[in-house]
Amino acid sequence: MPPVIDKDKCRRCGICAEYCAEDVFFGSEKGQIPVVAYPEFCAHCSCCVYACPEKAIRLRIPLPLQLLYKDPDFKL
Amino acid sequence: MSQKIIKTDILCIGAGIAGLMAGIRASEKGAKTVIVEKGHALHSGRGRGGNDHFWCYIPEVHGKDLDAFLRESLKIPKLRAMQSGTAQNVLRTFLERSFEIVELWDKWGIPMKYHGRWEFAGHSFPGDILTHLKYEGRDQKKVLIRKALDSGAEIINRVMVFDLITDDEGVIGAIGISTRENLFVIFESKAIIVGTGCLDRLYPAPTPAWMGSIPGNLTLTGDGRAMAYRAGAYIVSPEMPKRHFGPRYFSRFGQATWIGVLRDPQGRPIGPYVTAPNRLYGDMTPEVKSVFLEELFKSGNGPIYMDCRGISEEDYDYMMHWMWHEGNAPLLDYMKEERIDIRKHPIEFQTYHMISEGKIWINERGETSIKGLYSAGDESMGGISCAATYGWISGENAADYSRGVTLKSIDEKGPEIEEKKATIKEIINRKEGPDWKEVNIALQQLMQDYAGPIRSESLLMAGLEYLYRMRKKVDNSIIARNQWELTRCLETINLMDLGELVFRGALARKETRGLHRRTDYPLTDPTMDGKEVFIRRGDEGKPIIEIKKI
Repeated sequence: MPPVIDKDKCRRCGICAEYCAEDVFFGSEKGQIPVVAYPEFCAHCSCCVYACPEKAIRLRIPLPLQLLYKDPDFKL
Repeated sequence: MSQKIIKTDILCIGAGIAGLMAGIRASEKGAKTVIVEKGHALHSGRGRGGNDHFWCYIPEVHGKDLDAFLRESLKIPKLRAMQSGTAQNVLRTFLERSFEIVELWDKWGIPMKYHGRWEFAGHSFPGDILTHLKYEGRDQKKVLIRKALDSGAEIINRVMVFDLITDDEGVIGAIGISTRENLFVIFESKAIIVGTGCLDRLYPAPTPAWMGSIPGNLTLTGDGRAMAYRAGAYIVSPEMPKRHFGPRYFSRFGQATWIGVLRDPQGRPIGPYVTAPNRLYGDMTPEVKSVFLEELFKSGNGPIYMDCRGISEEDYDYMMHWMWHEGNAPLLDYMKEERIDIRKHPIEFQTYHMISEGKIWINERGETSIKGLYSAGDESMGGISCAATYGWISGENAADYSRGVTLKSIDEKGPEIEEKKATIKEIINRKEGPDWKEVNIALQQLMQDYAGPIRSESLLMAGLEYLYRMRKKVDNSIIARNQWELTRCLETINLMDLGELVFRGALARKETRGLHRRTDYPLTDPTMDGKEVFIRRGDEGKPIIEIKKI
C-alpha cells in the first residue's frame, strides 16, 4: 500500500513525513526510517515521491483504484 | 494537555490558495498575520498538486463588457453549480479583480502565460468565448508560501482550529489542537479569515470501500463552515450537491485538461459538442450534466470512455504538459508504469461522489454575517481563481478592519473554552467506542441513502431522525487513540454538523434544481430563482432557516 519506502535508499531525512498533508507518517521518529502509520488515508498525491531527495519512495496504487481502460488488442 | 496562546491581528485558518493569498495581502497591508494549517501548507487544499485552469476576465481578450462575460461564463452548468450560493455582486467583484491576480501570480513566479501569450482553453463550448486561462500551476503552493513568508506572515503547520470564539460584538479568537502533540492552541485575533475549503468526505467515495479514492482531499471536511455555523454565521444552501467526473476508480480532477471525446462502447460520442480531439474545446457533455455518465452506465449503456485516439503528437504533448501542471503527476506515473497509452487506450470515465456545495455567506468585501469574520476559497466561492482573488480581497479588508480594533482578551471566555477542552479530553481519554472512521462511514451511509441523489420529505425526515439518534450516541462515545485520530474525530464531528444542515436545507428547498432532486417536488420552482436557503444557528442551538434573495 502507498507509499512504499526503499529502506536501503532512505537517508532518514524525514522530508516525506514533514510534508504529507494527510500525515500518513504520523508517529515517525526523527532520524529513523519513516513509518506509514495510516496507509489507507493516503491521497496518492505523490508529494512524498517527488520530495524525497534519494528517490526512495514509490506509490503502489491499491487495486480498488486501478484505472480502467479498453485495450483494442485484448482478446478473451 | 498543555496550552499555548498566540496573539495576532489576522488569523487565516487554512493554508490553501485562499488562506495564503489572504495572509500575503494582510501582511503587505501591515497587519500581524498568522496562517494556521492542520496539514502542511506545501501540500494542503485542492490546489495541492497544481492546476491549469484559471477562470478570469481579461479585458484585452474578452472585450469591455464584464457583465456579458459573466453571463457567458455562467452558461456552463457546472460552473453555475459551483457558484450556487454566491451573490452576483461577489462574482462581479471577483471578475473585476481577477486579472490583477493573474498579473501578480505571473510576477511572483507562477507562469500565467504560455509561449508569451494569454492562452485560453477548456471548460467552454465550441464557438463560445473561452473563459479559463491556462497556467502552469504545478508549483503554485511553493510560490505562494515563499511570498507569504517574504511578506512577513507566519505559517503554523499541524494545528487544527476547531472552533471560533466570539463575544457580543463579533469574533475574538479561535481554539485548536496540535495534530501531533498533546497541545491546545488558543488564538486571540482581531479578525479571522476562514479558508478551509470543500466538503469532500460527507458522502461515500466513488469506491466506497476505499475512502481515499476521491478527486478532492480526505482532510477537506468543511471545518470553516462548521465552525462559522456554530458561531452563528449564515450558511447558504448546504443542500445543493455537486458532482465531478473523471477516470473511473482513479478519481482525479482535471477532466477539462483531457483532449478527447467521450464515447459509448460502440464508439459514438455521447454528446453533441466534439467528434474528434480538440485542443481548445474538450468534451463539455458532462459539464452540462455530470450525472449523465452515471445514468448511461446504470441503464446498461456504458461504459463511457474518454477517447483520445486520433490526437496529433503536438496536441498530445500539449495535453501532457498541462496534465502535469494540473496536479496529475500520480496518474501520469501510474499510466507509465502500467503501460497505458491514451493515444491507444480509451480510459473509462465516471461520475464521482456527491459534494455538498453549501457556502458561508459573504458580501463583496469577503465579510461573513459575523463581525470580524471573513471567508474565502471554496467554502464561500467555488474554484481556484475565486479562492485566489477573494483570499486577496478578504485579506485586504480584514487588515483595514483590524486597524480600528483593539485585540480582546479571551479571558472572559474561559469557562466556554474550558468546556470545549473538556470535550476533547473526553474523546482522547475514552477507551472504548467507535473511532472516527466507524462514525464517518455510518454518516456517509445515512447521507447517501437519505439525502443522496434521490430525496423526498419522507426520506429526509427519516434520515434526520437517524442522524440525530446516532449523533447523540457518538457525542458520548467517539474515541481517539492519538492526536492524529483526534484530528479525524474533530473533522467527523464537523461533518455531522454539516450533514444535518444538508438535511435541513434539502427539506426547506421544496423543488428540484440541479442535482437536488425531490421526487415529491419534481419541478424547478421559478419563484426560487435568485433565492437561496439561509441557515444559521439560533440561540438555543436549533437551526433557523430562511429562504431569501442572495
